Order: sequence, then C-alpha cells, then structure tokens
Amino acid sequence: MQVNFYATLRPIVGGRTVEFDVGEQVTVKQLVDIIVERFPRLRKELLNADGNLYPHVHVFINGRDAPYLPNGVETVIKPGDTIDIFPAVAGG
Amino acid sequence: MALGGYANRVAHVDLTAGTVEYRGIPEDWARKYVGARGLGVRYMLENGPQVDPLSPDNLLCFMNGPLTGTEANMSGRMAIVTKSPLTGTVTDSHHGGWSAARLRWAGFDGLLVKGKASGPVYLYVHDGVVEILDASDVWGKGVHDTVKFFRDRYGEKDLSVIAIGPAGENLVRFACWVNENDRASGRGGTGCVGGSKLLKAVVIKAAKKMPKAANLEAWKPAHKRALETIMDERNITSPRKGGLSVYGTNVLMNITSAMGALPTRNSTVTSFGPSAEKISGEYVKEHILVNDPTCHACPVACKKEVEIKEGPWKGLRMESVEYEPAWSLGANCGNDDINTVAKLIDLCNDYGMDAIETGHPISIYMEATERGYTNGDGGIAWGDTMAMVELARKIAFREGIGNVMADGADATARYFGHPELAMTVKGQGVPAYDPRGLKGMGIAYATSNRGACHLRAYTPAAELGVMPFGSLKVDPLAWKGKGELVKIFQDIHAFSDSLDLCKFSAFAEGAEEYAAQYAAIVGVECTPEDVLRIGERIYNLERYYNNLAGFREGSDYLPARFTQEPSTMPGSQGHVCELDEMLAEYYAARGWVNGVVPESKLRELGIID
Ligand code: SF4
Repeated sequence: MQVNFYATLRPIVGGRTVEFDVGEQVTVKQLVDIIVERFPRLRKELLNADGNLYPHVHVFINGRDAPYLPNGVETVIKPGDTIDIFPAVAGG
Repeated sequence: MALGGYANRVAHVDLTAGTVEYRGIPEDWARKYVGARGLGVRYMLENGPQVDPLSPDNLLCFMNGPLTGTEANMSGRMAIVTKSPLTGTVTDSHHGGWSAARLRWAGFDGLLVKGKASGPVYLYVHDGVVEILDASDVWGKGVHDTVKFFRDRYGEKDLSVIAIGPAGENLVRFACWVNENDRASGRGGTGCVGGSKLLKAVVIKAAKKMPKAANLEAWKPAHKRALETIMDERNITSPRKGGLSVYGTNVLMNITSAMGALPTRNSTVTSFGPSAEKISGEYVKEHILVNDPTCHACPVACKKEVEIKEGPWKGLRMESVEYEPAWSLGANCGNDDINTVAKLIDLCNDYGMDAIETGHPISIYMEATERGYTNGDGGIAWGDTMAMVELARKIAFREGIGNVMADGADATARYFGHPELAMTVKGQGVPAYDPRGLKGMGIAYATSNRGACHLRAYTPAAELGVMPFGSLKVDPLAWKGKGELVKIFQDIHAFSDSLDLCKFSAFAEGAEEYAAQYAAIVGVECTPEDVLRIGERIYNLERYYNNLAGFREGSDYLPARFTQEPSTMPGSQGHVCELDEMLAEYYAARGWVNGVVPESKLRELGIID
C-alpha cells in the first residue's frame, strides 16, 4: 500500500511516497501503527501520549480527513484508495 | 496624548499644496481604534466615504500600530489604507520587512497623503520630518530599479523604500506598493491611488531605535510569553521545526489540493491533482530554495528566497514564492511550472501589481478561450507560460487586451460577455481556498469588508486544526457554526491588524497575548474581552464606511460557481458552499440587517454618539 507524506514528515521517511506491506483488511488506525513501527521518529509527530492522532495531523483517505469518515480511524482502507499524511500546515 | 507607546506624530501631506503638517493622534480615536488598520479607517471615514478613489480628494494612509517597530515579535508591519479603486470599499493592505519599523524609528505613527502633485514626487521621511521631493528621475522605472536609485542616492544603510512601479503609474486598478525586500501591500489597488496622486515612493531613512513600553514591568512577561508560544514546537511557527517556518506559506499547496479546496483553472475544479506537488512548498525546498529571509523581530523566517536553475529565467534570484501568488499564477491558470511561477511573481513585484489579482484576468481569458467566448480574437491556453509573462507586461503597461485586464477581473469577464467567469466578491478576486472544500472561507469572502479575502477571517486555522496548541478543530465541509466562527476571527484579526502584528502570529498567539502586549506598550488596562470588543468596533466601523459608500443590503455574496456548481474532486466531491445558511447565522451574530449596521449597533460600540 502506498502512502504519501508531506512537509516536515518527508525528511523523516526519506521521500514523498513510501510502500507499506499490510494485510488485506487494514484500518486507518492499524495503518498508522504499522507506519510508526517502521519509522519510530514519526510517533511523536503523529500521536499524542494516549496513542491517538493529534488533531492537527491529517490522515486523508481520498482527500477526507479520517476522523470525519463515518467509521473514523476504524475505516477499512480499500485497494486503490489514496492515502496522504500531513503534519500541521497552514500559511496564508 | 495620555497614552504611551505611540510617537503621537502623524504627517498630513497635501500634495496639491505641497505642504506637510504634523499633528498628534486624537486620543479618543487611539483608544477606540488602536492604530494601523483601525485608525486608518477612522481617518478615511473623516475624509468622507463618497470620495472617488482616483480623485485628489481620496486619502492614502501609511499607518503603523502602537506595536510596530517595537521589540514585539512579528511587529514589522504597516497598513496602507485607502478607498479602493478596485472594489469601491475601504481597504487596508499590510506589508512586512523593515519599512514599517523604520517609519516608527523616524518618529511617525503614520503619513496621510491627500491631493495630487503637479509632477512625480516622493516623500523623504527622516528625523521626524517629511520632505516632498521631485521623482521625475524614477518615474517610469520598475520597483527594483527605483529601490536601486534611492539606495544610490541615500545609501543602503537604515534605508527603506516603498514604491509603485509602472502598474501604479498606469493606474492598473490592482497596482500595489512594494518595498526594498519585495514585501507588498498587495491587495485592493493602493498603488493605483499612489499613481493617481503622482506619488512614486516613500523613502525612509532611520536608524534602529525601538520604542520602549509605557509599562516596562508588564512588558517583560508579556513579551516572554508571546515569544514562548511562537517558539513552542506544537505550533507551526516554531523556528526551523514548524511547517510555516520550514516551508513557508506554500506548505499549503498540497493539502488544499488533496482535500478538494484548491480553486483550479479559474475555479472550474477544486484540485490541481498531481501537478500541485510541482508548485508546492515541498518542491521549492527540494529544488530551488536558497535562503529563508525574515522581517523585523521575527524568529519564524517564513519567507522563501529561490534561484531558478534552468530554462529561460535561469539565474533569477527572487523572494518569495508564497502560497497565494503560486496558486494564482499556478493552479488557477493551469500552470505547473514553478520557474515561471517565480518569474511571474518577480515581475508582479517589479511592475508593482498584486500577484494574487493578476492571475484572475489571465485565468478568465484562459477559460473564455476554452469556451470559445473570445470570438476567435486571440486566446490563450491553460498553462501557456510564455503568453502569461507577456500578458503580465501588457497589463502593467495597459497594452492591447492588457488595457481591459488592468481594470480587474469583473471588467475582463464583462469584456468577453460572460460576467459569471469572474471569481470575485465586490470586484476583488478570491484567494487560494475553494469555499466548496473549506466552507468557512465562503462566508469569510462574502462578508469581508475589502472584497474577497482570506486574511479578514483565517478560518483554515480552525478547519485545518492549526490554532495555537491545537486548541480548536472543525470539519472543513460543515457549514454550521462557521458564521459565528468567522465573526470571532474577523474581530480578533481586526485588532491584531491594528497593533500591527503579522497575521501569522495567530498560529501561536491569542487574545490573551495580544491584550497583554498592547496593555504594556500603551500603558492601559486591556483584557482578552476588550480585544474582541475593540476588534468588533473596528469591523463595524469598516462596514459603516462601506454602507455609506453604497454597499447596502445584499452586498455580501459569492460567485455562483461556488454555490451552484458542485465540486467534482476527491475530498469535497458533491459539495457546494451553503452561503445563505451561513449568512443568516453570521448576521445574527453581528446584529446586522442583511449586511447593514443598524444605528443602535453603531451607538452600542461607540462609533457614533
Ligand atoms: S511570520 Fe513571515 S511574514 Fe510574518 S513577520 Fe515573520 S517572516 Fe514576516
């Protein structure tokens, strides 16, 4: 499964797009766990002390922030879904 | 004046008579409207809201706030306030760098310019005086050569130059003022007003002399606390760690595109797809970034200086590739060549015209071409980079079709017989957030007092969850609550724009930090509630001005494309912007009647007796 990373997360994972080996049925939460296991430095960027995604971190499934999907971070990712992960970003 | 912090010296310049008078600030106005934006609008109201923007009677205000040029972080800001020739509203447009600080160090809170000179002039500001001098030698020059000219004349040390370019001289309605660091008071055509007065430049010579706080004991903790919030790693302002500091404002390009909130190809779609990456902050950092400049008293250093390494503009070094112009001259025009984006921004800076607005007539021309509205008379394809560079020049010099485009997006769309192609509110082009994917921006654009604008109420801070310390996050696709949210943002930004602090301070600081710093510098009591109340007063003052200028019921709207054509792109697919619902909520929160401030509200806020 391909995951796109942005901004300050990129130097940590070493590029824009990273391939992850996941099982057939993976939820957003499980994917995030797999990601931080492979890149431990991402843990403090993405997860708070309770292991939940920070509100300013965005895990987009086809452009929609996972917490706003009907099943939230328990949403099962489908083959072909586009996954983008952003740290806090803004400007103006 | 009993208040501390201010220079309490404003130069009233009459270019027709060739005179300069120096007056203090009416204390009641300073207390009610603070400075910069708020105080500038108060001077504008006094001058009369019916004034023709391009007549000698219009007032052009270069206004600092009480925090400008002090030790306060991000305090190198000045507001240029006038009646806009683009929108017909009152407008204020801010720039950073050091020119604002130097105006304060030269001993001024502001310069109010009226009348029209008999030939080109510039103002030379130094040691508490303003001289009106002949500018014939620089009339016709671009901003960059104008800066060079004055550096040769006065030396580079301690010198700031705020200038108009050919666009201002040729009365392009979205011409702007640009300083020696290429920081622009971009929006609203303030440079066009300068051109109409034959005022080429404001040249300021002043060594660093930071004003002291009236209450030094209160200042130290207020300053320390504000600095700590900016430095905190949880905020995007955190130097060399936060997204804003590392990548600049253009760190937004990928996320707004991914979520279906990037107005692309004149807002026909809401995402630039994979092309967004090629004009993004990440791409800039990985390929062409050479330096991270900053402004007076700012540890964030969000500016991004680049050097083009290949192609027709190889060797060009410029600052700064910002999100807004990169969108306007990039995604908005179907252009994914970052080198041309940088070239176009640099040209806009040199011509002295708003890089956000410039993309609008160009993208309208592109859409008109695609739809066959140009009647075979010329035309330009999406992303035709060489043609864009040539069009920018034609606009600045009002040549050929550029003469139409120089009057703005509405005039350009009308010229092609399709006014619906103009993505404008009150004549000003929308910035880089599509209100079908970030709904707060819809109500913010519609109710902005200076025409479509993202900086009156920066709701993406909440919709992207980057409020200080992650204190608030709301769904970008929900409309409920956004009317009330926009009011709060408008009020707090009206206050910080009057201090005048950089808008990006709001990613770290809140009403408490603003109140504490203002109170200490000026030597008054101020609570966070006072901040919101003063901000509300300033926002209502602007609305009152606009109401008197003819913007009555029904003046707050959005282009129909955003309310009637659903987004087709991932992230916001199927969504339109629910403007009417948000407007009802907003007017209820404001206590306005369909966009008009009732007299009772003006009285309650102390705007009228
Ligand atoms: S955050 Fe950026 S624009 Fe604002 S004061 Fe700092 S360097 Fe200037």
